[in-house]
Amino acid sequence: MDRRLRLAVRELASLRSEKTIILAIVIQLFIAAFSSFLVVGLVSLSDPGSTAGSYDITIGISGEASEELQRIVETGDAMEPVVFDDRGAAMTAFADRRVDAVIHTKASDDGRIHADAVAPDGDFRTTLIVTQLKSALSEIEREKRAALTHRLERTPLTVPEQSDSSPYFGFTYTVLIPVLVFLPAFISGSIASDSIAEELERGTFELLRVAPLSVPDIIDGKSLTMVAIAPAQAGTWLFLLALDGTKIVHPGAILALVTGLTGLLVVLGAALALTIEKRREAQLSFSLLSLGLFGATFLLPENLSNLVAKLAIGSPTVVSAVTLVGTIVVAGTGYWFVRNRLSARIGP
Amino acid sequence: MKAKRTLRIARWETARSFGSVDRKTAVILLAIVLLLAALAPALVAVNPTPGADLYRVGVSDSHPYHDVVSQDRRLQAVDPRTSSLEEGTIDVLVTQSRVVVTETEKSQAAAGVLRESIVAYNDRLMARETDQAAAFPVTVTLSYAEQTNLVDYTGDTGQQSADGETDDSGSELGTTTDTAALQTTKTSPSGDQQTPTPTDGATDSSRTSSQESISGTETAGDSKETDTPGATTVSGGYSGRNTDDGPLSGLFGSGQAGTPSGITPPFPLESLLLAFAFLLPFNFVIQAYGSSVIAERINRRGEPLLVAPVSRGDIIIGKALPYFVGSLGITAGIAFVLGGSVRSIVAIAPIAALFIAATFVAGMLSRSYKELTFSTVTISVVLTGYAFLPAVFAEVHPIAAISPLTIVVNDLQGASVGVGTFVLGTLPATLSAGVLLALGAGLYREEDLFTRRPLPAKALDALAAPLRSRFRVGLWTALFIPFVLVAELMAVAALFVLPVSLSIPLLLAVLAIVEEVAKSLHIYAGYRRGRFKTDRSNAIVLGISSGVGFFLAEKILGITQLVGLPNLDIGRAAFGPDILGLSTIGLLFAPLLLHSVTAAISALGARESRNRYFIGLIFAALIHLAYNLVVVSSLG
Repeated sequence: MDRRLRLAVRELASLRSEKTIILAIVIQLFIAAFSSFLVVGLVSLSDPGSTAGSYDITIGISGEASEELQRIVETGDAMEPVVFDDRGAAMTAFADRRVDAVIHTKASDDGRIHADAVAPDGDFRTTLIVTQLKSALSEIEREKRAALTHRLERTPLTVPEQSDSSPYFGFTYTVLIPVLVFLPAFISGSIASDSIAEELERGTFELLRVAPLSVPDIIDGKSLTMVAIAPAQAGTWLFLLALDGTKIVHPGAILALVTGLTGLLVVLGAALALTIEKRREAQLSFSLLSLGLFGATFLLPENLSNLVAKLAIGSPTVVSAVTLVGTIVVAGTGYWFVRNRLSARIGP
Repeated sequence: MKAKRTLRIARWETARSFGSVDRKTAVILLAIVLLLAALAPALVAVNPTPGADLYRVGVSDSHPYHDVVSQDRRLQAVDPRTSSLEEGTIDVLVTQSRVVVTETEKSQAAAGVLRESIVAYNDRLMARETDQAAAFPVTVTLSYAEQTNLVDYTGDTGQQSADGETDDSGSELGTTTDTAALQTTKTSPSGDQQTPTPTDGATDSSRTSSQESISGTETAGDSKETDTPGATTVSGGYSGRNTDDGPLSGLFGSGQAGTPSGITPPFPLESLLLAFAFLLPFNFVIQAYGSSVIAERINRRGEPLLVAPVSRGDIIIGKALPYFVGSLGITAGIAFVLGGSVRSIVAIAPIAALFIAATFVAGMLSRSYKELTFSTVTISVVLTGYAFLPAVFAEVHPIAAISPLTIVVNDLQGASVGVGTFVLGTLPATLSAGVLLALGAGLYREEDLFTRRPLPAKALDALAAPLRSRFRVGLWTALFIPFVLVAELMAVAALFVLPVSLSIPLLLAVLAIVEEVAKSLHIYAGYRRGRFKTDRSNAIVLGISSGVGFFLAEKILGITQLVGLPNLDIGRAAFGPDILGLSTIGLLFAPLLLHSVTAAISALGARESRNRYFIGLIFAALIHLAYNLVVVSSLG
């Protein structure tokens, strides 16, 4: 068996015996559960369509533009109008919880309508109610604007029909998937640094050195496990999301990116541990440096988080392909460079 | 424990932390910090959008929507002649007369974004009109009011509004009406159309841009692209004016005034940013602290300190103190930048303490650096999740109130914080931090410090260490109450999205399990470590001690009532019956009896073996669940 492989197996065994990898999975499960709960919660709170009519809201209407508003609210999705003679009556109904919100309108001489809207405070339906109020008022704005085009120099564009989209559809792709695929890469880098720092501090690194292993061999062996477990975790997440009905269009490309990135982070972690030789300082440098490097990728024409989102949702561009290949090449070269450079400094 | 010794250890810890950094490390750290410092302004300038070019829209160059698509960063304009919906190379097709979508979620989402984008484009277009009354024919003042009968609502506000006194009606309703709302309603009726004059426009753009940097994706990049005169008022000169007393104001549901498209529903996700701002630095602090704790344990380095004439408490507090003070300093800095007051710092302090206390336990339990890294990441994620609660429930104030961050949000908004809210927000975290420190202290002894035993075994050590008498069993059950409270509130938070018919039974089951575990886990640990006599009557006494401790501590839980948590259906299921049932003697003693009986059952199992403990625990949880169901259905 290859000596490097043997070291890699040893690393894996130590992870397994400590069962810490289970903690890592728990962490990610927590994040995933929390985020998907966040998405489900937000959608049901703010998207009238997704609640399947369970949260129809009643809007109390009073004032001069009541007729138009009543017609618009009637045709709107998941809302019902109730017309009142004056605002006081509407507000009494609001206080009695007979209506969920109140719009009082008043016309002014210039053709403008002033709407005074009241929504309940501190209720979990508030977001939904305000969204509905906004949609009704936007509709009346469009109608009034169309009626006043003779006073305008520019013509507003026609607004297409509302689609049944969830406003948080993108959240899964732009936030959740990038977090879930990048987090294992950072953890891997961090434990690679730990693994070497601990061998140095406990004095067992010398034992490794007297074994027939060169420094690049040690780095390779230690890195192999860490690099392997990151795409394995990321892949599991993509698989689970796919089971859950989230379509991932280019999982292979995402995993290739994660592998490359992990390789770079792991070798950086190892290099910092070998240079600094103390866990605390090495960890601190590693977290700051990896944060900085990741931040720096946001200066690219296409940042990595966005790249993952595009690959997952299936909208990659030519720039995406270039960024993907470029990142993997840079990460691979970086790994090779740091690995050889270190052996030159520390000795074979 | 002596303050003088504690301080000496704290000074020593600080000196050692900074003193031991060699020149090479210092240079590396300095270089990284400089890199980060250089990066921040560059990132602000580039302003990356996470959702850039996510959706592809097939639209020809000549179509009026082409401008819209090319100005929205989230949309890619694709030539419709070279792509088709069927092949999936575009998500939405814009033809001369209509917008074509497919059945897929992505296509629907793309159409939704396109629609939103067109509305925003129209608003920008209309902002350049001279006749603003025709361009924005509807103005809105949105305010929030409690739905209670206590409000004596009389008077015709329609009339008042015309006089420009909407603020009066606002305060009558018990809401905050901001100055912007006042401005709007005052000037509009008099015929002054608020046309964005150059000066007006300039102030507006600065206002709106501070809003956009938070609300994110859509218009952020547009200000550069539409540099026509007057277009500086990006989101429509007149829309979305919130009070401008802090970068996050107006996001948590204060009143708004403007055009319909300027209304932003209270959108809780923004307070995630706030949580990150406050909690991110703690991750670095606990990394350093965790390293310091575990470094003592490697190669018996901590031994001299252990034999020194100082108490365990001195060492533990002394070593943690510099990190705690550092955390507070960072928090103060962030609070200052965000415009918070001392209240914010006081509210965040328990979270900082909790981070450090949890890391202390993790440092005591971990066998290696690797394990510590995993543990600290878990701590960060779980505690950040706990702090996120107000982000998810910004509108459900009662639940949000258990996170100290709610106090910070209120503080940044300039709203007042009631004593009840303050106590509920800070007490569980403070108590949890204290209990964790005490548990970790149980491990601060030679046989645990310098050995590498599995985590569960050490956890049992920690739980068993303080159980010196049967009375202490009850005491520790009581001390676990903050964790029970936090776990139960997390469960309420996670389950409240489900329909009530499903969420309440599920919640009751979770509560039964959490409470039974809290009452019996340390008893089990005590038996495994041979702390108690194993006869049956002793097990029953231990169970009763634990049950009484739980019962008494749960009564203290009455503080949740101060902020109206039981008003919420699901909150009532979790915390209501026991509290509301105080009216009769029977209902007062029923929970006491329940807690004692179930704890005794678990204790009887725990005295024998692990498997018997599990069986006893399940049995106890089932009885507890049955009791809960009866109480909830009878009290309605």
